[in-house]
Amino acid sequence: MKILAIDTSADETSVAVVDGRRVLSNAIYSQILIHKNWGGIYPSLAKRAHEEKIDYVIEEAVKKFSIDEIDAIAVTKGPGLAVALEVGIKKAKELAKKFNKKLISVNHLEGHIYSPFVQNSQGNPDRQFTFPYLALVISGGHTEFAIFKNHLQYEVIGSTLDDAAGEALDKAAKLLGLGYPGGPVLERLAEQVDNGDFYHFPRPMLKSNDLNFSFSGLKTSFFYFLKNHPEVTGNIAKLASSFQEAVLETVMRKTEKAINQTGINRLVIGGGVTANRRLRLLSRRLAKKYHGSVLFPPYKYLTGDNAAMIGVVGYYKAVKNLYIKEIYDLDRAPRLDLSSLDF
Amino acid sequence: MIKLKLVENNSKEILKETLKVLRRGGMVVFPTDTVYGLLVDATDKKAVDKLIGFKNRPAGKPVSVFVSGLDMMKKLALLSKNQEKILEEILPGPYTVILKSKHLVDPAIESEKGTLGLRLPKNKNVETLIKSFAKPVTATSANLSSQAPHYSVETMLSTLSGKKQQSVDLIVDAGVLPRNKPSTVIDFTQPEVKVLRQGDVNFFNSKAYLSTSPKKTKDIAKKIFEEQSGYSDKPLVFIIEGELGVGKTVFIKGIGERLGINNIISPTFVIYYEYGNFYHFDLYQIEEKEEFKHLGIGKFLKPGNTLCFEWGEKTGDIYDLIKSKAKIIYVKMKYINEGKREIVINF
Repeated sequence: MKILAIDTSADETSVAVVDGRRVLSNAIYSQILIHKNWGGIYPSLAKRAHEEKIDYVIEEAVKKFSIDEIDAIAVTKGPGLAVALEVGIKKAKELAKKFNKKLISVNHLEGHIYSPFVQNSQGNPDRQFTFPYLALVISGGHTEFAIFKNHLQYEVIGSTLDDAAGEALDKAAKLLGLGYPGGPVLERLAEQVDNGDFYHFPRPMLKSNDLNFSFSGLKTSFFYFLKNHPEVTGNIAKLASSFQEAVLETVMRKTEKAINQTGINRLVIGGGVTANRRLRLLSRRLAKKYHGSVLFPPYKYLTGDNAAMIGVVGYYKAVKNLYIKEIYDLDRAPRLDLSSLDF
Repeated sequence: MIKLKLVENNSKEILKETLKVLRRGGMVVFPTDTVYGLLVDATDKKAVDKLIGFKNRPAGKPVSVFVSGLDMMKKLALLSKNQEKILEEILPGPYTVILKSKHLVDPAIESEKGTLGLRLPKNKNVETLIKSFAKPVTATSANLSSQAPHYSVETMLSTLSGKKQQSVDLIVDAGVLPRNKPSTVIDFTQPEVKVLRQGDVNFFNSKAYLSTSPKKTKDIAKKIFEEQSGYSDKPLVFIIEGELGVGKTVFIKGIGERLGINNIISPTFVIYYEYGNFYHFDLYQIEEKEEFKHLGIGKFLKPGNTLCFEWGEKTGDIYDLIKSKAKIIYVKMKYINEGKREIVINF
């Protein structure tokens, strides 16, 4: 079953065609520009100008297919930037109506939870589902724990109360003068000093018994530490590493708490921060300690925002016949959460 | 007369050129936080005379000066501890402060009573310029006396004779400035502080709070929201400024809780989240004004709505739009120490 999927939840415009779990094509506007080296033919549009990009990205994703092959259209309903979500939804409705296709709405967070199970066009990797999983979505916009009970069934057990983990990493990088997004730069600098912890920044929320996160206090203490200790600002790698350790150790200790509370030792972790090698190493260690396992997105493009993962969730919804009944009723839900799945 | 266009990436060169002209006693038309200003070295008699001649300013009518900070202000004028406390709260900002002069500037720009008007504007270029110049610079508006101030170089030039145009040594053109009023003039030399000219910011509608915890910050936010809502049929817009980690999101969570919204998280990644008729913006990631076009902010400026902007400093490009449609409450948050924040509200 082939599904055309659209994701415009934040600053990426992405369109994919999937067949079951297999990704046949996945186009992301920023990536197309880089790969094709357009040399200024296509202007570098404002980050959130989805409306001006979407037709072009769709064209790029479906050029090897005829529209007759497509069985249904899946689109991200939320969470995300309202005006951005609107563009994707409007386009999905338009296509569904024009070509008489069924429409499926997908929660962006579901996409990240399914991302470790997304396959390439050859069907690799072939990972089997062994429910339940402890799911963690960790990105620039989200930090959430959920029990992934079965297909399309989630129970949210913790989330951030303020900043996302990826956002904390990005902002720390910016404070160090490293630009935005700076998470990957932070990671490289940390590797230069063997991921050491030199300054012992606070680990927020570890004393609380719940599974919620709060990173804004850590950000504040980092900011004023830099302000009050101008003498250390030269040690960028040590600062980067200490901050990253504070964030990742907090995530790991909370994950350990979640394993203990739920008794589930099989982890699936999705979202942009899973591109971080240190996070992967620490998660593997943790899983090993509890004789469990951990799955990450198998390909780099699946860590960030992408329509392929939306398409794969769309497939599982199609299997259960969870189509939108009246397409005009579909509306964006900017603060949609996993526990309030509606169709 | 040289005319230079100030664009995003050439401020360094422009400032260098401006410094050169000021150092040799020249006169510069320069964009400020309010209107186009006419800048000369305030300690150079010849330069000051040229300025007064240009403006057709009657003798004895004072001209205010830009300073680089409270330190320079203290050097040029008498300032009591109490006055200093008030000024620390409101500056930098669109105020002209009248104080007793120490007569280090050219006497022609002081008043007959020996007072001096001082400006510490919130404008990066002016700030950098005066810092590098290390001397006060005149801050009068670039119009002839008794005429309206100018928001663009074209309109200014169109009112000047060829001869007057030639007496300007350098024009720094930053296009059309937002229509901010000239500064609010506050006289500190009388027993009672007195507002002589009302600008955009109302000095007396200003309140300062001290918060000692995130909970207190939320309580302050709730109180301000309660006080402000209901008075106007316009949408309420909170423009919140303050450094990273000072508690801007906490403040907004307070307003949200007052409205029954308890799941507010940072919208940095997606720019804004909406919760019914409550909109929480974070402009941290906005890099170019082109981006505002795609956010459709205008359509949220409807009666009954509340909009909060973190990194309100970046609302510059949409400020006129917001101002024309909404009641604005400015919130400035400052870090005092680990457990203390100062919150200054202007409305």
